[in-house]
Amino acid sequence: MLNDILSIKNLAREEIEKAESLKEIQDLKVKYLGKKGILTGKIKSLGSIPQEDRREYGRILNEAKIYIEDLLGKYEETFNTAELNKILQTQRIDVTVPGCYIPIGRLHPTTQVLDEIIKIFTSLGFNVEEGPEIELDFYNFEALNMPKNHPARDMQDTFYISDDVVLRTHTSSVQVRVMQNNVPPLRVIAPGKVYRCDADVTHIPMFHQLEGFMVDKNITMSDLKGVLEVFIHMVFGVDTKLRFRPSFFPFTEPSAEIDISCVICKGAGCNVCKNTGWLEILGAGMINPRVFEMAGYDPEEYTGFAFGMGIERVAMLKYGIDDIRLFYENDKRFLEQF
Amino acid sequence: MKASFNWLKEFVDFKLSPEELAHALTMSGFEVEGMEEIEGDAILDINVTPNRPDCLSIIGIAREISAILGIPLNIKPVEIREQEGRGPEVEVKDPHLCQRYASRLIHGVKVAPSPEWLSKRLESHGVKAICNVVDVTNYVLMEMGQPLHAFDLDNLAGGKIIVKTAGTEKSFRTLDNEDRNLKEDMLLIWDAEKPVALAGIMGGLNTEVSSETVNVLLESAYFNPASIRPTAKGVNLTTESSYRFARGVDINNIAKALDRAVQLIAEIAGGRISQLTDIYPEPYVPLQVPVIFKKINSLLGIQIEETVVQNILSSLDLSIKREGDVLLVTPPSFRQDIQRDIDIIEEIARLYGYDKIPVTLPNIKMRPAPVNKRQDLIRAIKNSMSRSGLTEVINYSFFNPDTLDKLNVPFDDKRRNLILVKNPLKKEEAAMRTTLLPSLLNNVRLNLNRGEKALRFFEVSKVFLPSEDKLPYEAIQLAAIYNKDMSASLYGDKHDGFYDLKGAIENLLRDLIITNYRFEQDSTSVEPYMHPGKSCSVTVGGEPIGSIGTIHPRILELFDITGNLNMFEIYNVEKLLEHISFKKTFISLPKFPYVERDVAIIVSKDISAEQAQAEILNIDSDIIESVSLFDIYTGKPIPENKKSLAFSIRYRMVDKTLTDEEVDSLHSVIVERLKNTLNAEMRS
Repeated sequence: MLNDILSIKNLAREEIEKAESLKEIQDLKVKYLGKKGILTGKIKSLGSIPQEDRREYGRILNEAKIYIEDLLGKYEETFNTAELNKILQTQRIDVTVPGCYIPIGRLHPTTQVLDEIIKIFTSLGFNVEEGPEIELDFYNFEALNMPKNHPARDMQDTFYISDDVVLRTHTSSVQVRVMQNNVPPLRVIAPGKVYRCDADVTHIPMFHQLEGFMVDKNITMSDLKGVLEVFIHMVFGVDTKLRFRPSFFPFTEPSAEIDISCVICKGAGCNVCKNTGWLEILGAGMINPRVFEMAGYDPEEYTGFAFGMGIERVAMLKYGIDDIRLFYENDKRFLEQF
Repeated sequence: MKASFNWLKEFVDFKLSPEELAHALTMSGFEVEGMEEIEGDAILDINVTPNRPDCLSIIGIAREISAILGIPLNIKPVEIREQEGRGPEVEVKDPHLCQRYASRLIHGVKVAPSPEWLSKRLESHGVKAICNVVDVTNYVLMEMGQPLHAFDLDNLAGGKIIVKTAGTEKSFRTLDNEDRNLKEDMLLIWDAEKPVALAGIMGGLNTEVSSETVNVLLESAYFNPASIRPTAKGVNLTTESSYRFARGVDINNIAKALDRAVQLIAEIAGGRISQLTDIYPEPYVPLQVPVIFKKINSLLGIQIEETVVQNILSSLDLSIKREGDVLLVTPPSFRQDIQRDIDIIEEIARLYGYDKIPVTLPNIKMRPAPVNKRQDLIRAIKNSMSRSGLTEVINYSFFNPDTLDKLNVPFDDKRRNLILVKNPLKKEEAAMRTTLLPSLLNNVRLNLNRGEKALRFFEVSKVFLPSEDKLPYEAIQLAAIYNKDMSASLYGDKHDGFYDLKGAIENLLRDLIITNYRFEQDSTSVEPYMHPGKSCSVTVGGEPIGSIGTIHPRILELFDITGNLNMFEIYNVEKLLEHISFKKTFISLPKFPYVERDVAIIVSKDISAEQAQAEILNIDSDIIESVSLFDIYTGKPIPENKKSLAFSIRYRMVDKTLTDEEVDSLHSVIVERLKNTLNAEMRS
């Protein structure tokens, strides 16, 4: 009797282990555990077992049932997974097909560089001021110590709207406007478009500048060097060297041109720096007392510095762009590189 | 300015190589921009800034080198032998325009080509050799910085010189054979009868030194820069002479330079020298500039010794007298740029060396940074546009006014009120932009021509409109253009590009938390350059702030563009500032679920999606949470002139879960309403 059950169990195991599909497993389930199944039949016949053996016999029968159920379950699961995998395999996609992305719009390289520079100066406590692009001759020239017929006016080819209205030739035009409406201390940057009517083919009639200035009691030329060094190190890296050379601007005195060690060749000499190892990047100086007088400040009370730079120049050096005309031609292939 | 290395060495005995000299000059404010080797010499190209006319000569540069290197300057004294009688007869009628006029006569010169040393030296400095007499004047100009002019004495009527303005004289032929138009106040040199030179700029053809010349009158003068500069500009002629006079020559160098030239002419071309005529009614009075000593250190941020300051200043020929805390400094006559203390402090810094000035950071009080809403708005717009897939372009602020005709802009449109540039170099620079669209169309055309098809650009820039004030009104405009490439779309993006741009505007307004906007369509196009059926205005708070639409096919033809272009403009982005709610308020999240029901209706084509949606939203019930359009369909089996619209409606109550019965009863009210008001048929 007991052997009977054991042989059923063994046979079932053998058959289950030999099964090759979910269908066979399901058939075996019916064969052994179904309503008319072999084991089910044995369980039904339990009543005919003598009273004293019934308990033990029932236990073994139940064990065999659980064993077969578990084994069937295990195999069913295995075959289920395999079937699913087969289906999933048929759903395979080509992952090398390009993704369905939202197009990325880019900001113009001038905007990107300008934003970076503005961020640096605002982190140093400078605030952003603006002035008109069409400016009075007064703010663009006269207030900056360039009276009419001053030879320094030759340094900038000017677009005129009328005799005393010009397209501003530099963002320095913002200086006296800000000074007239504020009291020191002043820490100001003024970014924006400027215009020069240069007929040279390598020049462009409009470009961007950023003017910066600081006015207070006791501002020194060494402070100018300090602020510009911090700025250059933040834009081009702390290894960049600075060189201050005497120069001339009517609205600053002393005036300086600032060179940085060539960012391309690191000072060894290359095409970009014309083998000098240096690149001109900024003009600066101590604000000329005449400018303070024009703004109504007492030059004996206040001192200050001012600096200005061409944004395209900085961008060209940062990105290695070799032709300034590319900036405003707006070729998509240029714009999408930044 | 070009300067020969060897020539400089004649005046300062320095031991530097040309490269070392170039570096020394560059680091003291005279940038050497180039160098050229010529036959054992080096020609330096030096950038002399407008404040230093005294350095527009070999001796000027040599003097500077002597100061930089601390080596003495050697200038040999000029010795001439006066051989023949009185100097020329000279009358200066406008002494405020000509503060000094010196001259001598040379009789019996032999005009001939210059000796080789002289012509070579001139040519290496870019000056053409002409003949010995003229070449000497150019040589002295270069050596000493004093422009000179030689007249053929025998062509000077009355053999005399009168210095006076043009007056009624209208025209004058200069020696380059050009007729120059004169203005009344231009200064001329006359003989007894006629003008013979445009003072300080160029001599006249009528008295030019030629191979026939035997007697010469040599002029050396000081002309007022304030008169030379406008005259040179007025006749559109810049010469080596006018360049120097316009910046100011050394008034105390006039006679010396004349004698140096006379000496050389006598040596090379022979001739007998007359006495000197020197009209110099108001001799130069040196300026005394006070400098508070401690200001030098406090402005530069250095600790310089007084002896160093004294050495620097005396090396520059500035003499010093100490009075208490003040230095009284007298600059030489050739340094007219030195007028006040700051000019002297600059000289000290320059020769002390900028590299020796320490690097410090300013001490300044902390204070809150002011908010610049305009700047913040522009940044927000640019970021929003780029997130919507548009790439920023920047165009020149000018445009060709003719493009307004091409755009079909009416003549009374305010965009026709142009701010014109007086001196444009090309037609494309003739007017300031009143709209950004033409530039964007040009950007599209350029890119299409270069084979790029999918183009999505935006620009945020100023446009310029006339105003009541002296300066025009500068409005910040936003414009975008989109050329949708319908041919290649891997993921089946076939909808009208109009909606891509509309989405970009809606994104922007949502970014700025502006909710009271609408897209309002009229029966005509909102702009003359837009497709009448595919354009509308954008309003915020009922006020039109911009327009969006497909560009009219005719306009595309005129701009030579083949494509499918949509664009939008926000006329003045600052208007948006009035509508932005800067305050963000949190609304609690709903606690109960929503129930969703769809409704699909067939209505006449004239009925807009917005109209149908409004019908649903207008129903007086607080459980309709949202209505969204999810399908539009025209074509079979929908009858012609009709379309199908399908909306998904969300119902929700804040304080309990809705039952199906509650939703169903409201939903049937909606269906009835749509049937009644829009004459809608339900689609099953």
